[in-house]
Amino acid sequence: MKQLSTRLFVCCLAAAAIPVVGFRVVTAEPIAPVRSDQTAEAAAIPAPSIQSRFSDEDIDEVPDFQKHVMPLLGRLGCNGRACHGSFQGRGDFQLSLFGYDFSGDHEALMAENTGRVDVDDVEESLILAKPTDADMHEGGKRFEKGQWQYRVLRNWIADGARFDKESFQQLKKLQIEPSEIRFGDTAENVQLTAIAHWADGTVEDVTALCRFSSNDDSIAAIDAEGHIQSGDAGDTHVVVYYDNAVVPVPVLRPISAPTTDAAESIAQRTPNRGEPTQPIDVLVKQKLDKLGIVTSDLCTDAEFIRRAALDITGVLPSGERVEAFLADDTADKRQRLVEELLQSPAYGAWWATRLSDWTGNNAEQLNNVLPVQNVGTKLWFNWLRKRLQDNMPYDEIIEGIVSAESLEDGESYLEYCREMTEICGGDFDRYAERESMPLFWARRNFQKPEDRAIGFAYTFLGVRIECAQCHKHPFDQWSKQDFDDFSTLFGVVRAGNANQVSPDSKKAREELMEKLTGGEKLNGGDLRRKIQQAARSGEVVPFGELYITARGMTDGQKKQRAAAKKKGRKLPPVRVPTGKILGVEQKVDLDEDPRPALMQWLRDESNPYFAKAIVNRVWSNYFGIGIVDPTDDMNLANPPSNAALLDHLASEFIAHDFDLKWLHREIVTSDTYQRSSATNSTNAADRKNFSHHLPRRLPAEVVYDMVVLATGSTQKADQMRGELDQMAIADGKARRRNNSDFALEVFGQSIRESNCDCDRSDAPSLLQSIYLRNDAEMYGRIAARDGWVAEACKELGIAAPRAGAGADPRAAAAQRAADSMRRQIIDRIRQFNKLPEARREQTQKRIVQQYNSVAKKLRKDYHVPSFEELVAAPNTWTELTPPVATEGSDGVIESDRSLEKVVRQAYLRTLSRYPDDEEQQVAIDYINESENKTNGIEGLMWALVNTKEFIISH
Amino acid sequence: MKLHKTCDGVRRRDVLKIGTLSVGGLTLAGYNQLAAAGQVAPGHADRAIFIELPGGPSHMDTFDLKPNAPDTHRGAFKPISTNVPGIQISEHLPKLAQCMDKFAILRGVSHTLAAHRLGREYVNTGSKPIPALEYPSFAAVMSKEQPADPDIPSAVAVPRASQGPGFLGIRYSALETNSSPSFGRPFNVRGISLPGGIGVDEVKRRQSLLQKLDRRFADLEKNDQLLDGLDQFGDQAYSMITSSRARSAFDISKEPESFARQFGEDSFGQSCMLALRLVESGVRFVTVQLGGWDTHTDNFTKLKTQNLPKLDAGLSGLLTGLEQRGLLGSTAVYVTGEFGRTPKINTRSAEGGRDHYPRCMFMLMAGGGVRGGQVIGESDDTASGPRHEGISPDDVAASFYHNLGIDPTLEYDSTTGRPITLVRDGSIIQDLFA
Repeated sequence: MKQLSTRLFVCCLAAAAIPVVGFRVVTAEPIAPVRSDQTAEAAAIPAPSIQSRFSDEDIDEVPDFQKHVMPLLGRLGCNGRACHGSFQGRGDFQLSLFGYDFSGDHEALMAENTGRVDVDDVEESLILAKPTDADMHEGGKRFEKGQWQYRVLRNWIADGARFDKESFQQLKKLQIEPSEIRFGDTAENVQLTAIAHWADGTVEDVTALCRFSSNDDSIAAIDAEGHIQSGDAGDTHVVVYYDNAVVPVPVLRPISAPTTDAAESIAQRTPNRGEPTQPIDVLVKQKLDKLGIVTSDLCTDAEFIRRAALDITGVLPSGERVEAFLADDTADKRQRLVEELLQSPAYGAWWATRLSDWTGNNAEQLNNVLPVQNVGTKLWFNWLRKRLQDNMPYDEIIEGIVSAESLEDGESYLEYCREMTEICGGDFDRYAERESMPLFWARRNFQKPEDRAIGFAYTFLGVRIECAQCHKHPFDQWSKQDFDDFSTLFGVVRAGNANQVSPDSKKAREELMEKLTGGEKLNGGDLRRKIQQAARSGEVVPFGELYITARGMTDGQKKQRAAAKKKGRKLPPVRVPTGKILGVEQKVDLDEDPRPALMQWLRDESNPYFAKAIVNRVWSNYFGIGIVDPTDDMNLANPPSNAALLDHLASEFIAHDFDLKWLHREIVTSDTYQRSSATNSTNAADRKNFSHHLPRRLPAEVVYDMVVLATGSTQKADQMRGELDQMAIADGKARRRNNSDFALEVFGQSIRESNCDCDRSDAPSLLQSIYLRNDAEMYGRIAARDGWVAEACKELGIAAPRAGAGADPRAAAAQRAADSMRRQIIDRIRQFNKLPEARREQTQKRIVQQYNSVAKKLRKDYHVPSFEELVAAPNTWTELTPPVATEGSDGVIESDRSLEKVVRQAYLRTLSRYPDDEEQQVAIDYINESENKTNGIEGLMWALVNTKEFIISH
Repeated sequence: MKLHKTCDGVRRRDVLKIGTLSVGGLTLAGYNQLAAAGQVAPGHADRAIFIELPGGPSHMDTFDLKPNAPDTHRGAFKPISTNVPGIQISEHLPKLAQCMDKFAILRGVSHTLAAHRLGREYVNTGSKPIPALEYPSFAAVMSKEQPADPDIPSAVAVPRASQGPGFLGIRYSALETNSSPSFGRPFNVRGISLPGGIGVDEVKRRQSLLQKLDRRFADLEKNDQLLDGLDQFGDQAYSMITSSRARSAFDISKEPESFARQFGEDSFGQSCMLALRLVESGVRFVTVQLGGWDTHTDNFTKLKTQNLPKLDAGLSGLLTGLEQRGLLGSTAVYVTGEFGRTPKINTRSAEGGRDHYPRCMFMLMAGGGVRGGQVIGESDDTASGPRHEGISPDDVAASFYHNLGIDPTLEYDSTTGRPITLVRDGSIIQDLFA
């Protein structure tokens, strides 16, 4: 267990600078050292650096392969991806990328007849000869013959170039001095020192063997020797790599002094800025104080209701709700709004969408998992939605996925099939009543043990472990061996297509099949069709089953053993395969289902990832950036921007029994969440310390619904908000690969495919702008009969908009026909105009008849110029336009006052605020100056949904 | 930009900064050097038309006939001579036979994926599909590497494309028209055409209202990439909608009737003509689909009466039209289905059909640096497999990229930061360009 603690120690500390037990504000150093604060053992005096020892020409010390030789090759860049770390090697010589495969690398170095290492003729060894000779070595000259690096390699070879697997050492700690750096105003330099503490008690200065990098070299640039140069104001980390250790060192440079004065004056100017009391606010402020950053003011009520409603429930608040909230003058109205939102059904729906993203609920990957098509994602979603709505503790929800079983306790295979047939037949909500959700395990891209290891780490740990599938993880402690040990765990879980069942259920399944097919042998496709047909008609059909292939001793082996024991004979032990949980040294015997053990580990309060991953993802939903960012990339080299904050939230989340609504409430009611997006001179550049609101483009489903709600009539919008069924945030839109809704796809709905939170995109794009500005769907919504513009026109007593033709193919065809009539009549009139005066009279009657007949047809939907107008200027009627509102209907609007109301409604239902005086005037002028007022109102709605303000968070 | 690290320890930002100095594999700079040294012939084309034949066209009844194969295999169609001595194709492709000199046939192309979607993903990317990751389409790569001017889309698909931008992301998606043009009719395209009743003047009026109302956040814009990006895309969308360039490119009624007729009057032919207009106007990549090739039953009637006449007129019209307009040298054309069809005729319907068969198929290439009038590769006596070493979809993809001046060994980072080679296993078919 000693190793176990080391491993956990490494990862815990990465994210946990200060352990917060309960809540306790640590006033000392919130961005305190990460690993080197464990000074208890640092008393040992480190051996002098290898650089100084091997500067002595006569040194006879034999360097160690693991501690010195391989790190040196790493430092020299030999095992980088461009060089011998490449998967094809270079010059036939391949090292493991980033090292840590000591046996493999030793073999590669010692390979026979390569001359890389020649213990008989040491100086001729290629690993000495090549790097000292630029002509011979494609990678150029790496060191000089007389340098210490040369002597390290030479002495190791001269001693026989040994590596003993058995003497493999655990690195207990990599201590970095200084452990934290705070730069002042002037340019400064700092040299880092790295001290390795090995399990065998040896302590050594290994600075010359480390690799260094900076997470932001505009703030802190670091060179290959570990020498840091200060840059811009801000904070970041430099990272030190040695053996399997990856140690981040916080570097901070406050905003320069004059600005800090400004900061104080800003702070003083702002009224009611007492010391924060909410833990989140306290911890955020501690960090900001160090940086000399002053927070923005709190946002307005209008901003708050829009922000909170969209972030908590994904639903745009109705104009009426906004008005009521603005009119409410009680002190706790924000808190009450948050409660109302958390209790609303939309909360469960929206967060089930998010959790569906993280768990990978993807129709394509569920193809053929169930004998009934296209229901898998729906079941998955409903299962999550009910649990979120009921606020089931997060660890229990996840347990239903991680330890999922197909058959519930006491349920027979046949009963299971009967219930599932009914569920898939349309009783979708009943799936949510089932205890677990095995679909997670049955996905096509979640079958191979390696894919499962990657997917499991992504979903539940927020860790990208895939690098370690092929080589030492460059930013984390994971080695390829760690990856392999972990992925082995998943090999015993079988779950896949609808034909797979446990051996126990095989017979029952065959009987069911026999009944369905009448014993006829059918090929795969025909069988699938037959089953689907049967399921549709309500017949019980066989379902696939998740089962475990892990096996302890067979009954035969047990008997044999019992018999042998009686006779006093000894049999050799039965070999049981084993795997390892990530970062846990103790093996897991695979003689039984490893998933309960995995679940136990996940929910254990010492787990370094599980709670942090969800807390961080939820946080990111509210702030647009995680405390660790990207949110699914928790690794040692990517530490949290505010470790104390993440620690506090994670440990309190656990202390509150993984209560998700507690977490939402804690975040949303903090001042930190309620900051305005308007910045001051100190915080304008801050993007990761939460000093102001960061505007972001709203998620695809939310945008989709917003457009529908904003443009829809009050009645239609109310109905949608009430029922949710039609809304994209409630999974109300198709999502199949190559067949998802165009708008959702364009706005970056998560594809839920590649184990990455980046499967969802909130980046703007050209197609998005084109869609909102000029898609027939948009025009159709604005002009729809059940749209808001029609409603407003009715109130004003003016003509409703002509329903958009583009959206409906029949309407488009009708429009084409109308347009060809227009062209025909123009052609006729042109011909008519060419006639000599005398013949005109003759034909006039006929052409007027023709004109009248066409005009009659077109007038219903379009403006038709008079015959005389056309004769005078046939070329001016270039396209069909809506009819000019008929006599007087425009004049009916009594005054601009009713228009003011319309403009106000338009603003409330799109931007969730009242227009200011100028906006009011611009809008009214626009409507009044329009060809007709209906057009003008359409134009106003068009403009509002195309503002940046509409599509971003406030 | 988010700090995003890749598996190989390089941070995204660094990659951008380092640019062409990156060292892994053959970089673009390295590729250009090789091209300059004559070790790889430089690409000629700077735009492309990709014709997808989803369903999987029968190779034996189109471009790889075996008149001497047994009755069970041969099929009902006879070969005819083309304008290139020694090359024969199906009697139902007479117009293409007369422009054989403009394109090359690849025979004995071979792979193993007999399902429609998987096969399509393979031939449309040049990489065998894997569940963990979706490779980008040719169109997406082109849009990323050689984007078009702002007032015209980089890539268009008529009516749709089977392959999306994969891990490159939605912003490299082609603009899908979702419908096909009809002969002599105006053509409306999602987002580009102005839907009924809305004129350019109205859009301009609305835009000026929008500019007056879109004032909040104005003081944040300088600092914020998102707001800045929204503005940029908004302006670009506006110029695309109001400028006549894009709309005019889609307006096939602008072509003289005699020119339009040479493509055939069906929607595929008119799509080919649209493709020509689009690349002429500066669109970088156009995908055109012609479906209906999944001829499990009644193979011969369907081909003879439906598919082959369409393909014959449309494709010959396209190649001829490109040449007439002087665009053939700068436009890479690639025609492929997802697989061939079984050489042995099945007997499930009266006249027989052919089933999925990836082991042997044909593809066509033209334009750019491709030398027309040649056959590359060869199938065996019954067209059941390549006679010698077959050509892989990877090789063809590598060659297509090469023809477009894009290094097929170009590396991208997947969304999770894994370095992915554009076409990992393909090598450029040098004979195509010889």
